[in-house]
Amino acid sequence: MKKKDNNLSSKIRDEIINFIEPDIYYCYQCGRCTAGCPLSNVYKYQPNQIIRLIGANKIESIFNSNSIYLCLSCEICSSRCPQEINVAAIMNYLRNKSWQYRSFKERAILNFYKVFLKIIGIFGRSYEPALILNLNLLSGKFFNDMDLALNILRKRKIKLFPEFVKDRAKLSRLVKKYL
Amino acid sequence: MIEEFQQDSQWEKIAYFPGCSLNSTAIDFNVSLKNLLKLLKIEFKEIDDWNCCGTTPAHNVSEELSIILSARNLLLAKKMGYENILCPCVSCYCKLLKASKVINSDLKPENRLEENRRDLVFKELKNMGFDINQKFNFRVYSIVHFLLLIKEKIGNKYLEIKNDVNNSKEFELLRGLKPVCYYGCVILRPDYVIKFDNIENPTSMESILKEVGIESLNFPFKTECCGAILSLTNKNIVIELSEKILSAAQDAGANCIIVCCPLCQQNLDLRQPQINNYSKSNYRFPIFYISQILGLALGLSFKNAMIDKLFVEPDIRI
Repeated sequence: MKKKDNNLSSKIRDEIINFIEPDIYYCYQCGRCTAGCPLSNVYKYQPNQIIRLIGANKIESIFNSNSIYLCLSCEICSSRCPQEINVAAIMNYLRNKSWQYRSFKERAILNFYKVFLKIIGIFGRSYEPALILNLNLLSGKFFNDMDLALNILRKRKIKLFPEFVKDRAKLSRLVKKYL
Repeated sequence: MIEEFQQDSQWEKIAYFPGCSLNSTAIDFNVSLKNLLKLLKIEFKEIDDWNCCGTTPAHNVSEELSIILSARNLLLAKKMGYENILCPCVSCYCKLLKASKVINSDLKPENRLEENRRDLVFKELKNMGFDINQKFNFRVYSIVHFLLLIKEKIGNKYLEIKNDVNNSKEFELLRGLKPVCYYGCVILRPDYVIKFDNIENPTSMESILKEVGIESLNFPFKTECCGAILSLTNKNIVIELSEKILSAAQDAGANCIIVCCPLCQQNLDLRQPQINNYSKSNYRFPIFYISQILGLALGLSFKNAMIDKLFVEPDIRI
């Protein structure tokens, strides 16, 4: 089991090094990415630590921590890096791989993505009432953000009935491949 | 791959991609922008049968899925005869821009990963019934980039109407505005950037607002993230990050915030009571979309700019 994990870890690390330029070995740990990251106070591993963990072949540790799942893709990290390393693209690549290899750890966020994509598969467009209802049911927090929902309803800022894309069957087939 | 901003970019025939949020929780952005474009006599056409671009969920699950969902919209625009697309929602803009960079004919994949990605995208588009053997040259515009391109039109229109004696409530609101411009984190920083402004201290929105006689205050939190899509799963993070923005606006002496992103507007506007609860403050900042303020300045009524949809209402009776 360990050997298989190590192989997967190496595979992902090699892909990141070969396909995202400039490669992570240009990083000299200046910390600017971390300094700019809005979520650094909730991350287990900071962006600069994630870059180091990749080089050290510790992809499993990254998958088991919260950083890549909470990352907002705000891209401050990429824009601040003096070596122009695309940290945001690397975070997303890791996130995509964690989904592909069923190692996506944050339950709430995983549920959110699943529900959102299922709704697109059904309607072709987003449908907030179904999204919020499903999320609240899955998280067990039935009255989460009820105050917000009431305000949105009061201002009539929500579509009560869904809109259907005419060609949605093809979208449904596409989305199913990734769920 | 960075494109330099060109003042004379071709945009005359523009397709309009609203995206899901402009259709619902950001309906005020949608309607005020469309009314503004009509005022300026700019022709636009909404993409027929557009689909959700997948935004953060699709992008975080699979880059390929995100690109395919967005590319479908680009090809639908092409079917209508358009290759220039205006994307007011910033998240949709990034996704459609990325898709255009993958399928545009003049760009070559730089490595095996990008090549495989491009092949997969074309294969799925072919499965959906599109003709992939055409030349593609899509140009996707964000709201701020687009407003910069039509800045002169806006200025001219303003000069036309500003001398009309106007004691209306709309102008009273504009005269009392002391805004700061909040760009949000994404509009200047997608993977492939069209360099139209400084990433750390942008001034596009301020310069556009100057064309209609509105002076903005300086503000150090112009591009700090509000918490974005974590609003639905980790709202405490959003409240913490958004509170910093409101606090900075207060320190700058502002009485409102002008934004260009629907998600930022919702986080700062709808969650303002929750933010006040968290930080024991009493912020009261109306969060306007830039299209609403420009619309009001060029003669739109409160109703046509949908000012009544703001949750934190301005002090003027609408």
